[in-house]
Amino acid sequence: MKNPVSILSFGISCPGGTSPEALKDFSKWPFESVPESGGRRLHEVARINLSAEPVNRWRLKPRLRRASPLSHHLIEAIAQTLEARPDINPERVGVVGAFFFGCLEYSVRFYKGLSNDGRRFASPILFPETVVNTPLSHVVAELGIGGPVYSQVGDTSCWVSALRTACLWIENGDIDHVIVAGAEEFEPHLLAAFHSLRWFTAGHPFRIAEGAGAVLIGKKTPAAIADITRIADGYTFRTRDQARIAGIECLGEFDMSAPVMDTATSWKSQTAASLLSNRQLVNLSQGLRHDAFTASSAWNIILAARQRHYPRLIVPHWGLSQNIAAVEISRVANI
Amino acid sequence: MNSREDVVITGWGCVSPLGGDSPTSWAALMRAESARGDITCIPVEGCRVTQGAEAHLPELKGVSKKEVSRLSRASRLAIPAARQAMADARILDGNGRSVFSRLELSISTTACGMEHGEAFLRDLWSGNPRHLACKISRYPAQQQIGDLQQHLGFSGPAMIVSNACASGANAIGHAADLLRAGFADIVLAGGFEALCELVFCGFDSLQALDPDLCKPFDLHRRGLMLGEGAAFLVMETSAHANKRGAQIKGRLAGYGHTTDTHHITQPDPTGAPLEGAIQRALQQAGLKPSEIGYLNAHGTATVFNDGAEAAAFARVFAEDLATVRISSTKAAIGHTLGAAGTLEAVFALECLRTGDIPPQINTSDPLPELARCLARPGDKLSKPAVLSVNLGFGGSNAALVFTAA
Repeated sequence: MKNPVSILSFGISCPGGTSPEALKDFSKWPFESVPESGGRRLHEVARINLSAEPVNRWRLKPRLRRASPLSHHLIEAIAQTLEARPDINPERVGVVGAFFFGCLEYSVRFYKGLSNDGRRFASPILFPETVVNTPLSHVVAELGIGGPVYSQVGDTSCWVSALRTACLWIENGDIDHVIVAGAEEFEPHLLAAFHSLRWFTAGHPFRIAEGAGAVLIGKKTPAAIADITRIADGYTFRTRDQARIAGIECLGEFDMSAPVMDTATSWKSQTAASLLSNRQLVNLSQGLRHDAFTASSAWNIILAARQRHYPRLIVPHWGLSQNIAAVEISRVANI
Repeated sequence: MNSREDVVITGWGCVSPLGGDSPTSWAALMRAESARGDITCIPVEGCRVTQGAEAHLPELKGVSKKEVSRLSRASRLAIPAARQAMADARILDGNGRSVFSRLELSISTTACGMEHGEAFLRDLWSGNPRHLACKISRYPAQQQIGDLQQHLGFSGPAMIVSNACASGANAIGHAADLLRAGFADIVLAGGFEALCELVFCGFDSLQALDPDLCKPFDLHRRGLMLGEGAAFLVMETSAHANKRGAQIKGRLAGYGHTTDTHHITQPDPTGAPLEGAIQRALQQAGLKPSEIGYLNAHGTATVFNDGAEAAAFARVFAEDLATVRISSTKAAIGHTLGAAGTLEAVFALECLRTGDIPPQINTSDPLPELARCLARPGDKLSKPAVLSVNLGFGGSNAALVFTAA
């Protein structure tokens, strides 16, 4: 990025609710035990009850009645960003969505249907909902968003790539305001996938969660929650040894004296702990860590933007499968 | 800043169902060949339609059989296409590795390494726990990015856009945005898509596949033909290209994109959102519609898509419509989804390079509004610019304007 941008509003849909206070204490989040495929192991998972208020307000919208849970998480978070800034016309707002797993529930259901019932009986209703950009398409149609729209994919750090795209649009003068959103939905087959990849570690337990987070950004302004002053992206790895080097290079882009937010989960916790042993590590949440991947990326940015203790805070985004990125959040002068 | 001079293209390459490289694919396209045939690379028994455009996977020189067996089909399409583009731009060293240790990627795909995701689920359901990690780890798009970076020797940021069938044009447009904003001096932009069971059955379930020939812009069109492939472009600022002495082979003069909220799978029948994307691209290029000589249309041959496109073209070009030549190369190579925009961009650039226009094949009874402008064999480019447009599920529209070097 060439110029800093400001965070103007944010939105949250998480198992703990829709308030930013929910992000500060994971111990208050409801969870359930879900068996891995085959029923061999149970894992605790934090899910959103879509029939409860306030997130149930989208259920009867014609375009969202059959939409994936991910679409519901996403629209709640994005709607909050717009509701917080009624002075900004949605017609002049762009959106970049970041997704690790996409519409997993419907994809698995669609594939299971054609596998069990025969290819000729594959569901034409489910298929369009499996497409990665469908949730964001529902959201912009429902909320009247008129600016450019991209759906990006990648691991957790993909949210930073989406943020970079948003900064690019603002830099080029394509649009004044952009919402950067991350959203994930839980699907039980994820448990078997994570187990096979050894992402559940006894030493660094975490709960899988679902939900969405979104921030509305614009050109730097004093009337902001916080500023995003630096982005480092593109520190890729293929092995866990390479991840350590990528982490060193990524965090080396920032002032070594700046505090770093503790955001790592799974096997990355060990990498992060070894890299950050001589840095000031800041934990803004209590309780067993939950990870909703790109949604967590957005939640961590919101937590960092709202904190009042540190003038600058580095927020790493530890992708579990390919990339490490980080964002520097600076408290704006008037707070 | 004059966008017509700023973003240049110094190399391109592709793997398509018509050939394993750009010259072979282009030559077959100009011979009016179609790659339609029986699908053998994925199981399609039981589908209403079992034909499509399957690519022959090029040999990966210098890569062991074991290593090749680990790659997803998408990576086996993407790596040779990217290698061709980088070789064409002369940014590979003697060992076939990038001369730039950090090289930004702007990538499009929709299905990633889906065959591995499908295999993971099948094994899980059948109680076969072996190699589950190998299968699931090769599924996500970032693994194909890792394959590209590992095999071509670079690292750096990668933006993976998945805006359905417009993704490829978005990836190229995003690369241009990065260059114009000064976020990068050189970007490898591209898209890849491999045929997979889930997506093939999905389009079959929508009854969007033509059981016969794919006939874009024909009054009797019945649907699309699915294909696969990959295409990559090396894009640079003109200053960067000149500094390293690169041969400039084309320019991206304009990019426009809009979102159509009409329906999740059908475009606005008036074509207004597509018209908006084309107008933006032309405006950025500083060109009038009358300066477009060839339009590579999205032309999926579905009833709704082609009707909306024809309406948009009629309004954008107005009285100049008869002077532009239009074709949809999807009749020859199929609809390659996430790779469509990049493959069609390569064909647009080949058109500028050679002056030849790919003919519209399979269309015998054209839509009246386009009857005079569908490209015929032997048509030549007589104007300075070409346009490539794409539309996608979810309402993504994108337009790219290219000019000669």
